[in-house]
Amino acid sequence: MHLFRLARLTLPGLAVGFIAGVLAGGLAAFVGQPAGWALVSALTLGVPLGLLGAGYTMLLINGKIRLGGFAPAAAYWLIGFPLARMLHEVLTRLVLTGQPGLPPDPLGFLAYQGIVSAGFAIGFLWLHERVAPRYWQRLAAHDPDARDVYLRYAEHARAMFEAAERRKAARGRKPSARTSVR
Amino acid sequence: MVDSHNPPSVGLSSGSGTRGATYEGVGEERVWRAGGLEPMPIRPLPEAPPSIHLLGPTVFLVALGVGMGESYMWPRLVLVFGPEIRWLFLIGVTLQAVVMLEMARYAMATGESIFSGAARVFKPLMWFFFVTAIMVYIWPGHLSAGASAFEEITGIPWVVTACVALILVGILFSLASVIYDLLENVLAILIGVLVVGTAIIASIVGSWADLGSTLGGMFAFGYMPSEMFSSTWFPIVVGSIAFAGPSGMQQMWYTLHLRDSGAGMGAHVPKIRGLRSAKEEEQMPSRGFMFDTGDPKEMAKWRGWRKWVTFDAFLLFWGITMLVTISFTVLAQSASRENPNVKTLIEGGDRDAALRAMSDAFAAAGGPVLGGVFFGFIALIGLNATLGLFDSFSRGQADMTYNHIPGAKRFRLSHLYAGFLWGVITFGIMILLFGPADGPSGILDILAFLSSFAMGAYCVTLLLVNNRMLPKPIRPKWWSNAIIGFGAVFYLGMLFYSLFRFGVVLD
Repeated sequence: MHLFRLARLTLPGLAVGFIAGVLAGGLAAFVGQPAGWALVSALTLGVPLGLLGAGYTMLLINGKIRLGGFAPAAAYWLIGFPLARMLHEVLTRLVLTGQPGLPPDPLGFLAYQGIVSAGFAIGFLWLHERVAPRYWQRLAAHDPDARDVYLRYAEHARAMFEAAERRKAARGRKPSARTSVR
Repeated sequence: MVDSHNPPSVGLSSGSGTRGATYEGVGEERVWRAGGLEPMPIRPLPEAPPSIHLLGPTVFLVALGVGMGESYMWPRLVLVFGPEIRWLFLIGVTLQAVVMLEMARYAMATGESIFSGAARVFKPLMWFFFVTAIMVYIWPGHLSAGASAFEEITGIPWVVTACVALILVGILFSLASVIYDLLENVLAILIGVLVVGTAIIASIVGSWADLGSTLGGMFAFGYMPSEMFSSTWFPIVVGSIAFAGPSGMQQMWYTLHLRDSGAGMGAHVPKIRGLRSAKEEEQMPSRGFMFDTGDPKEMAKWRGWRKWVTFDAFLLFWGITMLVTISFTVLAQSASRENPNVKTLIEGGDRDAALRAMSDAFAAAGGPVLGGVFFGFIALIGLNATLGLFDSFSRGQADMTYNHIPGAKRFRLSHLYAGFLWGVITFGIMILLFGPADGPSGILDILAFLSSFAMGAYCVTLLLVNNRMLPKPIRPKWWSNAIIGFGAVFYLGMLFYSLFRFGVVLD
């Protein structure tokens, strides 16, 4: 798949991961250093989280994980989030000190990040599910893959909509249902 | 559809329910008769949605629940008493998750709010909540925390921010076509950002040791330091348990959001609209609906809804509330390590000074931007709570007025909603400008004052409503009743114990 098309298709996960990483991670890691250093720190977290986010979206598009499921998202980030944070620590250290190095107690570090990943997974999924269906709807006219995944969402939404319409119609037949109750 | 030719197989004759509630055939329609109000016609129960992207109403509880309790009061208690005190938080939030499930039971089964359920049991009970809501929630105290944090970042005086925010909230809700949809989307994005951001910041600032002690403390059941039983700390500790998750009447309002989101039988009730498109509002029925609990297919769908709301309660509500509190506790611990002065200030109880000191500690450790980010999150929490509270208050009061005040049906529900919304906004601005605004903390305390009493009262109401007004097959299990009963005893018992033993209400 062409790189541009891939990026366009997986933009929801890419954007949520990247923006979350750059905003929160970059600012939190801004250790009183010049702006250039802070930028490096932001990118070393934003880029891995963005790429991992795109990976999650890709799996969703390919039908490897179900729409909106929490368990697959939590499992994905249980591995992905600690890796991204480890990369962030190592690269930030490398840029700041010129020496590559792991954080003290790497196993404890990974275990801690693994637990926090559950929270990240909830927030990621929450935002992803808000953004992605609408985005794919816009893309559906040009991209068959986007159309396919959007149709999966739409199929469900249509069932819900039709049920709502049926109920509305039922209310229409009995606009003042209470009159027949008395 | 259940009709007179194909009636529900359970409880068709009068007396098939229990005291206060029965299935009956009235005219050509089958109805569920519960309490003294209009009977509920039988309608089909919609299918439950299968996955997370259709979740919604929990957004409101999370937005309302993740407030000062989570971001300030519990971190404070951890610094004062140690992480072991968090077992009480675990109890408080778990209790609230069960309350949430039971609130949802009535709302999803009938499409009515818990206020209407209370009116079916005993009308003055509902009026008690009507009056309590006005007494507790017209004060703009919840605005002050977020607006003060915004002042720290921008320098704009908090009263100005609060007044502008009040007017913006009013305009936003008046212009929205369907208020629920707008608010759900806005809150969902804000909470999503809050959750993702808090998780990342906690992952950077916190450590395994902080998290380990915080998590371990949640299971230190029975830990009660003797200092806790003093007139200073007892009201604060018990008040913080009440504040764990949604406090006051927030759980009751959740039933209105459930209905408006179309959960369960709420699908049969039209949505509230903004003032601009109020004319498009469909006729609001004056009572809810019931499904045929004797039909196995309907009961299978009911179990689907229960599963859906249980997932909501435990993963989203319980999970996010826990996550935010744990993150803020970890932040407070690392801040107090950076600057021992933080611990003294937090223990001293001046919230604004303590939050400022925490921000300073982060700024010292991670540059001024990090201190700003901390206040940004406090402001975000304040904004969430403000949006949620204004909408919920107006929704609850409008619902009670429309359904239970004679003559109110001359107005549309949307007009009543707008009336309460602009009423509370106008009052809020007056108080902020001319009231006894001796600083933000002073106002927030009024909110805490009646919180526990309302919570004890709604536990009793829940027990009565769910066990007397619903058909037997969908009533709560004994253990659920036991937990809600414990809640009633706990909230009311602690309130009166504190009042008589120490002469102070809960804080």
